[in-house]
Amino acid sequence: MDDRPVMMFRDVVKVYPLPAGDVTALDHVSFEVERGEFISVMGPSGSGKSTLLNLMGCLDTPTSGDIYISGTRTGDMSDRDLTSLRRDRIGFIFQVFNLFPLLNTLENVTFPMMLKSKQVIDPEKGRSVLRAVQLDDELFTHTPMELSGGQQQRVAIARALINDPDILLCDEPTGNLDSKTGAGIMELMAELNHNGTTIIMVTHDPNNAKYSKRTIRIADGRIVT
Amino acid sequence: MIFWEIAKRNIRLHLLRSTLAMLGIVIGVVAIASMGILGNSMVLAVSDSLRTVGDSVIVTPHVGGNPHGFGGGIAGSSSLTITEQNYLQIKRVSAPNVAIPVLQTSDRMKLGVGQDDIVAAIYGLNPDDVPDLLKLETGDYSRGNSGCLVGSKFAEDNNVKVGSRISVGTEGDKGTLRVTGIIEERGMAFDISTDSAIVVTKEWFDSAYNRTDYDKVVVKVKNLDDLPTVKTAIEKQMNKRDTIVDVMDTRKTMETIFAAFGQITTFVTAIGGISMIVAGVSILNIMMMSVTERIKEIGIMRSIGAQKKEVMWMFLYEALILGIAGSLIGGVLSLVGGYAISSMMLQTTKYLFVPSSLVNIVYGVTFGIVVCLICGIYPAWRAANLNPIDALRHE
Repeated sequence: MDDRPVMMFRDVVKVYPLPAGDVTALDHVSFEVERGEFISVMGPSGSGKSTLLNLMGCLDTPTSGDIYISGTRTGDMSDRDLTSLRRDRIGFIFQVFNLFPLLNTLENVTFPMMLKSKQVIDPEKGRSVLRAVQLDDELFTHTPMELSGGQQQRVAIARALINDPDILLCDEPTGNLDSKTGAGIMELMAELNHNGTTIIMVTHDPNNAKYSKRTIRIADGRIVT
Repeated sequence: MIFWEIAKRNIRLHLLRSTLAMLGIVIGVVAIASMGILGNSMVLAVSDSLRTVGDSVIVTPHVGGNPHGFGGGIAGSSSLTITEQNYLQIKRVSAPNVAIPVLQTSDRMKLGVGQDDIVAAIYGLNPDDVPDLLKLETGDYSRGNSGCLVGSKFAEDNNVKVGSRISVGTEGDKGTLRVTGIIEERGMAFDISTDSAIVVTKEWFDSAYNRTDYDKVVVKVKNLDDLPTVKTAIEKQMNKRDTIVDVMDTRKTMETIFAAFGQITTFVTAIGGISMIVAGVSILNIMMMSVTERIKEIGIMRSIGAQKKEVMWMFLYEALILGIAGSLIGGVLSLVGGYAISSMMLQTTKYLFVPSSLVNIVYGVTFGIVVCLICGIYPAWRAANLNPIDALRHE
């Protein structure tokens, strides 16, 4: 088993050049995420949470500093390599589920598998992951429009897990759900973490943060705790 | 292939919009292919009409720009004719090809008691030359002095059969001829147009019209590659000092005609091509709409690991499906359109199902697909190069 941190930020700075002047969104941020951790990232609006999430998800590159994913430095990677890294090592869960409306449940879940294998895939793994997130078999052929918010988020979680990523990045995963459904999703996340999945979750909700083992608080682009 | 599947489903989701865009491609393909088919059919039709005379060199007395002025004609002659001496010179330089002297006039003729007089062209030929120049539909080549051949249209229009009698001249003063054969239809011809004419022996023509000089000489060239050589040889021999004869290489003339038809076909096809360009713009438009509508979806795809080229192909597949479907439908309708246009304009569809006509459908279909693909490239490229973060934020 790889004992390197699954994610490591070293003195990361992110500056957005704007006509009115440069805006420093992240200011010399350093932290490590060990395998199996469940971390909440909290902070007020404009504190740099989204920038941090984009950098963690390799959707953006830092102005300075280094980011390592499972020991691999991302700074010099091409767009193609970063895309492959996202596909193979990172699972994304969004606030608004972001399922593909043209694909059914099973196709949505197996989509990242198809991106990875480039060939016809065995949908059985998709079915087993969907069952693992407690979705009924009868919903596998439904389109996202035919699912409730909670069901959609379970499908999104299954999609994020399908390629066995090193890290699950969650952006307000219960933000669009009622409290009961949200609690169900958080229970599921806790269970996934209990089974070894590393989770980093950006949230405003202190109730959600309770499920995590560690909280990173961020303000004005700096980690405060 | 999931991206192909997504492209198909997106087209199905926006069926009306996609159908309208496809309709543009259908119209474009039909326009291009039908025009191409019509142009080719016209060339083939003309080619069929002229093919019997594509192996000839026609020698006629020179007209215009003549140092002797109008009517100066052939050396020493005051009329626009070719003398026996000139003919023999032409025959000598053209050998071993056959040089056929032709006498030509027109006159009144009566085809039966109580029938009105008609006026028709009369050709005078040596009986020995006739088989080299004309083919018969029925009957025999006339050997006797009072026999004649008639053109197929002449026979049809005047209900003339083998054995019918024709009185030539006013009140039959030139004599009466018996029809011995009916000439096969020749269509337009550079040498002699016999469809609505009668052909008599040179001897009868001489006695009836008191003519010994010829109106033209037709040289039938056995080897088509020799046409330019024969033409040059005649010109050198006959036009040494002054231009006394005009020499026409019929194949060259046909090539010029076909080249002109080719240009006309290209022009009308290009007009059809404009409709295809318009269709292409409509494809570009709906593809841009599709990209704009799906920016967020593109952002999700990119964030979960879809490469730029995969996103690009997803949109190109969409353009390709529209192009292939529209072009194939257009190809089938082109056949119908070509059939209708050929029927209306050429009164025949026999030139439709030949490779040189059908290939226009292949061109039209290929052009349609290529136009769609080209018009899909920019929207696809734009989609692929969207910033995933901006795309994810898009509402």
